[in-house]
Amino acid sequence: MHNTLTRVQNVFGFFTSVAFAAAAAIAISVLLSPQAPTASLELRSVQVVKGRPHYYSTKREEYAHIKFDLDADLTTLFNWNTKQIFLYITASYPSSDPSTIPPSEAVIWDAIIPSNYAPWHQNTYIHPTPKATTKVKKTAKKGKKEIGKAYPAGAQPGIIKLDGQKPKYQITDVSSKIADRSNATLTLHWNIQPWVGALVWTNTKTVGRWQGLQGGEAKFNFPPLKGTEVKKDELKTETGGERNRGSPA
Amino acid sequence: MFGSLAALQPRQLAAQILNFALVLSTAFMLWKGLSVFTNSSSPIVVVLSGSMEPAFQRGDLLFLWNRGIETQVGEVVVYNVRGKDIPIVHRVIRRFGGGSAPLSLLTKGDNNAADDTELYAHDQSYLDRSKDVVGSVVGFVPFVGYVTILLSEYPWLKTAMLIFMAASVVLQRE
Repeated sequence: MHNTLTRVQNVFGFFTSVAFAAAAAIAISVLLSPQAPTASLELRSVQVVKGRPHYYSTKREEYAHIKFDLDADLTTLFNWNTKQIFLYITASYPSSDPSTIPPSEAVIWDAIIPSNYAPWHQNTYIHPTPKATTKVKKTAKKGKKEIGKAYPAGAQPGIIKLDGQKPKYQITDVSSKIADRSNATLTLHWNIQPWVGALVWTNTKTVGRWQGLQGGEAKFNFPPLKGTEVKKDELKTETGGERNRGSPA
Repeated sequence: MFGSLAALQPRQLAAQILNFALVLSTAFMLWKGLSVFTNSSSPIVVVLSGSMEPAFQRGDLLFLWNRGIETQVGEVVVYNVRGKDIPIVHRVIRRFGGGSAPLSLLTKGDNNAADDTELYAHDQSYLDRSKDVVGSVVGFVPFVGYVTILLSEYPWLKTAMLIFMAASVVLQRE
C-alpha cells in the first residue's frame, strides 16, 4: 500500500533510525578524543567549630570549614560531545571502623562548567577574577554588564585557578563530631555530562587514549574543636555566583 | 473504518489481533528484561523537574543502573521519598557507612540552593541506599522522554494513541 499514512510512517521510521545511529556513533566516538587532565590541589586551612551549619539545621553540631587552592587544566575533557562538567572537591575521612566500613565522604565545593556551545544558564559557575584586577573591573562595570565566564579571562573551559577559595558547603558527620580526625583527604573529582550518551566520572588510571588525572589530592587532619575565638567572617561559605532557582524537588 | 474491519476473514482478523498482542508483550518483556538486567524497578526514567538543570532538563531520558550498591559521592541517583511515590533525580553530596554498615546518602539538586534534608520524610535526615534508591544514572538522551510528559499531562492523548495503534495494526493488510 502506498497511501499517505504509510509514507509518513516510513519517513518517520527512517528518521528515528538515522537519529539513533548518529547519536550512538557520537556517544561512542568520544573514546577517540585524547584526554590528559592535570590538577594541583592544596589545603589552605581547616577549622572545626560547633554551631548550626545551616539556617535550617535543627541542632548544634560540629562542622568543618575547609579552604583550598586549586590550579587545574581540564581543557582536554571538553570534546564534541561534552555539554558541561560538574567539578567537585570532596573531603574523605576514615569511618568509625576502617577495616569493614569504607571512608565517609562529603562535597565541600562544586562548580558547573559549561562548554562554549552550551546555552547560557543562570546556574553555571562564574570564575572569580584575580584580586589585582578588581579595581579595573569597578570602572568597567559602569558600561555594559559583563557576563562572567566559568574560567579566567583569556583562558578556555576547564582552566581553574583558585587561591584560598572558601568552601561552598560546611561539612558535618553523621555522629555530629568531626574534630580531631586524622588521615583525611581532599580529592578533585568531575562528572562529564554529554550531549548524548554515557556519563563519565573521574578516571585516575589511563584507559586507551584517556590518561588518568595527574594530581588533585591533598592529605590533611581535622584539627581539635575551636571555640568562640574564631571570627564568623572566617567561617563563611561562598558560591560561585550561581543563582539556584530550582524548586526543591 | 468498521466496514473494512468487517470485510476481513475471521481467520485473518484473529491473526491481526494476535500480531498486536505479540507487539505489546514483546515491549513488556523487553522492559522487564531490562529491569532484571539493571536490577532496577524502573531502568529508564524521564526527568520531571528542573532541579538538576543544566545537567538534565524536563523531558530528558535517563538510563539507570542499580548493581553498584557502593554508591559514590558525585553520582546522580533516583530515589523515592518514603510515603510518596514520586521519583526524584538528585546528586549525592555526602555518604556515610557502607561495607558492613548500612550506607547513608545525602543528596542535592544541582539547581537547588539547599540540600534535600527538607525534602525527605519527617524523621529522616539521610537516604538509605538499599531501601530508598532506585538506581544511579549512567546514560542520557535529551528530550526524547517529553512524549511521556505530554501523555501524563493530557490523558486523552493516551487513549487516542492506543486507539490509533490498535487500529493501524488491525487494519494493516500485507
